[in-house]
Amino acid sequence: MTRYVVIGNGVAGVTAAQAIAQSQPGADLHVYAAEPYPYYRRPQLPDYIAGLVTEDDITYRPPQWYAERGIQVHLNCPVVELDAAAYRLRLADGTDVPYDRLLLAMGGVAWMPPVEGVDRRGVFTLRTLDDARTIRAWARESRQAVVVGGGLLGLETARALRALGLEVTVLEVAPYLMPRQLDREGAAVLEILIHRMGIRTETGVVTEAVLGDSAVRAVRLKDGREFPADLVVFSAGIRPEVTLARQAGLVVNRGVVVDKYLQTSAPDIYAAGDVAEANGIVYGIVPAAIEQARVAAANLVSPGSAVYRGTIPTTTLKVVGAELTSIGECVMEADDLVQLRRADPQQGRYRKLAMRDGRIVGAILLNEREHTSAIRQLLERGTDVSAYTDLLLEENPDWKRLLA
Amino acid sequence: MKWECMVCGYVYDPEKGDPSRGIPPGTPFEELPDDWTCPDCGATKDMFEKVS
Repeated sequence: MTRYVVIGNGVAGVTAAQAIAQSQPGADLHVYAAEPYPYYRRPQLPDYIAGLVTEDDITYRPPQWYAERGIQVHLNCPVVELDAAAYRLRLADGTDVPYDRLLLAMGGVAWMPPVEGVDRRGVFTLRTLDDARTIRAWARESRQAVVVGGGLLGLETARALRALGLEVTVLEVAPYLMPRQLDREGAAVLEILIHRMGIRTETGVVTEAVLGDSAVRAVRLKDGREFPADLVVFSAGIRPEVTLARQAGLVVNRGVVVDKYLQTSAPDIYAAGDVAEANGIVYGIVPAAIEQARVAAANLVSPGSAVYRGTIPTTTLKVVGAELTSIGECVMEADDLVQLRRADPQQGRYRKLAMRDGRIVGAILLNEREHTSAIRQLLERGTDVSAYTDLLLEENPDWKRLLA
Repeated sequence: MKWECMVCGYVYDPEKGDPSRGIPPGTPFEELPDDWTCPDCGATKDMFEKVS
């Protein structure tokens, strides 16, 4: 019987295991998880830190869930070695595990930038439930926090710490917040929402050192300013966890390089999710992890049966309670694009439409929930809206006129 | 009947629908289009489970 082994117990690993179990009932199917917990909802870790959800709420998939589906899950079992020629894994306790088909779905690790003093106590990154537990416990004894990184996770972490009553400052190296999803004008509106929560922000600043004795006392910027802190979270991005793949001699670039079948450079080894680099892209988003997991699972069962064609980013996300949607060419500032903007900082709303040849090719929408659907349709249809630019910037456009 | 996203915990409430995708209030989860995705994290429809 074919022995399927999945390394990783996040969205990609669990989705793939479930797909294999569905198509091959009774298969010899194993999931190896480095962490001691069954599947949990990683996007909810900031809510867990804030005390809005409990550990039970996010780790709600007990080991029986796996058993009922014929998946043998091995928690707290880091894989430390991969021998691709011998089709064998070695676990941290020295056990050898053979496989016929292997899926690498170990995800990513939080990147800690090489800043002086990050080894002091009270300095953290946030990726795992253990990280979240440690931060939550430390936050109980803290008054002032600094979050280094003003991307999605950094802002969500800041919101959580603020909810616990800490004074929070966010430091972002880019000239404005969420530079991957927003433009400068949109970020200015978001910043107002964040300031209203009582969170301070500093953009265009370089974090130079973490000061203190054994524990952190302050963060110093390159411009010399110091921010007192007894808790610091670095939120500087996620890197694919490629240690095992690299050691095994697989082709690794930023992530583990895969072909259109999501196969790595080694036979019978596939990769999916945050660890994988497909078409030169490490997607790092939930929809891509799900799609890749399904394609990889199909190919594990029946090689060559499914092709991955890339994922169009679904980029609606919640940040600090605001709903942010980015569609198409939204951050690009190409010369041939006409930009229409409507900002309502008081209401925390922002609408930017990027147009080319009279057609909408991109949009950034902050708290514009009721208009998102119409704008998406205009973009998808390629409707010529050049005669309606005034209408597009009204507070409540009569979309029916344009969509009729 | 409400449905919950396994990935991020978003709850689809048919009484509210999903205005950002043009889904009117009163739409049962079963009648959402197949390509509908979680408004918070982008997970596909089959990543949702019923909640009581």
